[in-house]
Amino acid sequence: MKQFASLVLFGTLAALAVVRGADDQEISYEYHRYEELGKALVSVWLQCPSITRIYTIGESFEGRELLVLEISDNPGVHEPGEPEFKYIGNMHGNEAVGRELIIYLAQYLCNQYQQDNETIIDLVHNTRIHLMPSMNPDGFEKAASQSGEIRDWFVGRSNAQGVDLNRNFPDLDRIIYINEREGGANNHLLQNMKKAVDENTKLAPETKAVIHWIMDIPFVLSANLHGGDVVANYPYDETRTDSAHEYSASPDDVVFKSLARAYSMYNPVMSDPHRAPCRKTDDDTSFTDGITNGGAWYSVPGGMQDFNYLSSNCFEITLELSCDKFPSEDALKTYWEQNRNSLVSYIEQVHRGVKGFVRDLQGNPISNASISVEGINHDLTTANDGDYWRLLAPGNYKVAASAPGYLTVIKKVAVAFSPATRVDFELESLVERKEEEKEELMDWWKMMSETLNF
Amino acid sequence: MGLSQIAAFPTPADSVDDKTVYNRQLTEEKPLQVQIAEADTVKENVQSAEPNPVAFPKDLEQDGDDFAVLKSLAVGQKTADAVRASKAEQHLRDDSDSTKSRRLAVDYDSTKTGMEYPDDPESFRQVDGTPLTAEDIVQKIATKIYEEHDRGVFDRIVSKLLKLGLITESQAETLEYQVAETLQDLITKNAKNNEIEDLEGDYPAAKGELTDQSQATDESIRRSYNVDRQGDDTEAASDKDEEDPEPGDEDEELGGDAAAAAAGDSWEREEEERGEEGDGNEVRPEDGLQDLQYFPNFYRLLKSLDSDQDAQERETLITIMKTLIDFVKMMVKYGTITPEEGVSYLENLDAMIALQTKNKLGKALGNPDFAALAGQLPDDDDNTKQEAARMMKEYENLKDSTKGEQPPTEISQPGKSETYLEAIRKNIEWLKKHNKEEGNEDYDLSKLKDFMDQQVDDYIDKGIIAKEEGETIKRIYSSL
Repeated sequence: MKQFASLVLFGTLAALAVVRGADDQEISYEYHRYEELGKALVSVWLQCPSITRIYTIGESFEGRELLVLEISDNPGVHEPGEPEFKYIGNMHGNEAVGRELIIYLAQYLCNQYQQDNETIIDLVHNTRIHLMPSMNPDGFEKAASQSGEIRDWFVGRSNAQGVDLNRNFPDLDRIIYINEREGGANNHLLQNMKKAVDENTKLAPETKAVIHWIMDIPFVLSANLHGGDVVANYPYDETRTDSAHEYSASPDDVVFKSLARAYSMYNPVMSDPHRAPCRKTDDDTSFTDGITNGGAWYSVPGGMQDFNYLSSNCFEITLELSCDKFPSEDALKTYWEQNRNSLVSYIEQVHRGVKGFVRDLQGNPISNASISVEGINHDLTTANDGDYWRLLAPGNYKVAASAPGYLTVIKKVAVAFSPATRVDFELESLVERKEEEKEELMDWWKMMSETLNF
Repeated sequence: MGLSQIAAFPTPADSVDDKTVYNRQLTEEKPLQVQIAEADTVKENVQSAEPNPVAFPKDLEQDGDDFAVLKSLAVGQKTADAVRASKAEQHLRDDSDSTKSRRLAVDYDSTKTGMEYPDDPESFRQVDGTPLTAEDIVQKIATKIYEEHDRGVFDRIVSKLLKLGLITESQAETLEYQVAETLQDLITKNAKNNEIEDLEGDYPAAKGELTDQSQATDESIRRSYNVDRQGDDTEAASDKDEEDPEPGDEDEELGGDAAAAAAGDSWEREEEERGEEGDGNEVRPEDGLQDLQYFPNFYRLLKSLDSDQDAQERETLITIMKTLIDFVKMMVKYGTITPEEGVSYLENLDAMIALQTKNKLGKALGNPDFAALAGQLPDDDDNTKQEAARMMKEYENLKDSTKGEQPPTEISQPGKSETYLEAIRKNIEWLKKHNKEEGNEDYDLSKLKDFMDQQVDDYIDKGIIAKEEGETIKRIYSSL
């Protein structure tokens, strides 16, 4: 019966021992339903609590949280000068690959950070990365509930109200096209944005939530993930002349092509020039190097991609990642391997072009100042700390910073491929100028009155 | 000069000043500085008499050329406005304060139906309507907790006070301290009169928790030791959470405090409660086994060794356990480990014994039947113990891979807990490695635990994780 004694001792040792977990860093490649999605994000947070934070931007129509996992060295905080980035997946509920890839990406970034991957550590320290695996959790549940055989091209695509979220955004393309012809603003086209959104009864709750999100955080670069084809699509999505296919260039066509390529070139399927189209009847004549202009492929009004560009400072592209919208689970690992490097490379694109601060002569930040680049008919604005990030392809530019009540300053800049070139502006306010003049006047008056004694 | 227009404003007082102003017209134009000074004085006078001097600077502005006067007047206006505004603010604040204190008594709804004024112990007025003194309040709260065996009473009251901004966090702590002391007195007083039936153990639970909550844990241990030394048989910090109706992490803290206290306390009262089990004879305090009563599984193990041939085995086991307990006590005393860590070692140990006994000897010791003891059925508490048992099992599995997969004891969320446990472990390992590399001292586990607890609560509030999940996570952290 000495077993008892040994039992106790053994138990003691076990109780007091430090536990070594299995050193298993594998991502498990499976579909995540709503609960599992939450659990996966929570697990990433538990593993990397110092660099991650989970938040929700609102609820879907059926009350599911629109969860976001944020990764940064100071989660929850916008550090002045640190660019904000987002990935949004699964806005069409039956396009499932993007949703999963974003989850795997979250796990990957956390694991790599802890394994001293220099690239990832740098990225996390210098970027604020927001990952939303699913913008349409209701649609996904519908799509996932079907059995594999009968997965339809459409079931689960729209939200629970039957709204196609990628046609539900305010159509600002119409307005920009008018302004191009007749003159008008070239940026931030949604007047009284908050009011317009809150009073618009046609907007789905998911759409509203994303618009508020865009208003709250000064995103610089983003991508939204889809399925049903394999290509990186960039603005504008809607054709100018209402035709079905027409190349519809934005003022930043050069930058967008560069950004789209930065994704496609690391995806062997996407960038394969000899890739057969997903379906024999597909027309992918607009695809080159794995990228395409939106309008050239087919016209899409009310999409989220163009809305980003035309209502805020954010440059967004659309990534189509799989011929099959809802492939079988055992294909997920392959999709991850095809896209992992692209996903990371695309985030790195946020560190390009010109960036800096706009301040007044006392060093106070000037928010909502205008940053314009000569030759590019699309201006940006500075964020609350006066910080801005202007993505540009390599070249020489003249960049101007202006704000109401201030004197404009123009600077010449040479931009390399990367990293971003730092350009700060100090603006003199008109009031200051006037004050100086007033002071001079007063001094003169004093002098005069003393001299002449009146 | 527009100054002349000032005289036109009807002013009830300061007729002398009016004359002064009026007379000024007749003098020569004075030097600029003097004019500015006079303008200031006049403006002050006018403002004190005339509540709305807004029109007056406008008149002066029509003068145009004289920037100096303009400027000084504008500045003066601003400061006067500011003074007036702040006075109004103060007034407003006073109003809102008095409103608040009035509302408190009215809005405060009693927690039990039928418990109305004037008998409501949770109201803040005496029966005759006079306001309570601080001592009265403390007394009332303590009495209510005692009567209802409900520590939640305190929480409710304090959170209401905090929400209304009537007390600060530190005042809440002080209040807690005072209530705990008063409660202790109450118990002491009443214990002498009432024996077993009153001492279901709830209020000692409350007291134990109260003392644990915001005080340093060693202080609470000291207090329990004090209690012990007072020779009061009937009271002790509760050893278990089973009497505690509140779920979640409070269990852990309570368990922590209690077990550490238990490690040194006498358990006669506990003993009486368990009298129904028929174990009383074997474990009178005189046996020197009082420490071990806290370990129900070990206890049962001992019980099962009641034949003569096992007597020596029993003795050995008892010695081993006592040594262990002393060892842990010493470590806690010298600060090598925190009391919580000490407690969790001991808790895990007990759970391990249950498991090992079951596995190696093929006999189950039976589930610790706290429910029968306490007369309540707290699911959370069972989960806590089972969670600890399951975690020990995990440790076991990782240590000894030759062991086959063992079915876990009843678990509410097996998949999630394991995944979360895995994730937390990875984080801790990374922290250890990271700190070593950077040459920092060891990361602070208790700080991390506090931070994570906070975050978990925040996430629960926002609907990001379910309450149960959150509790699981907190439990995992406190068992580390």
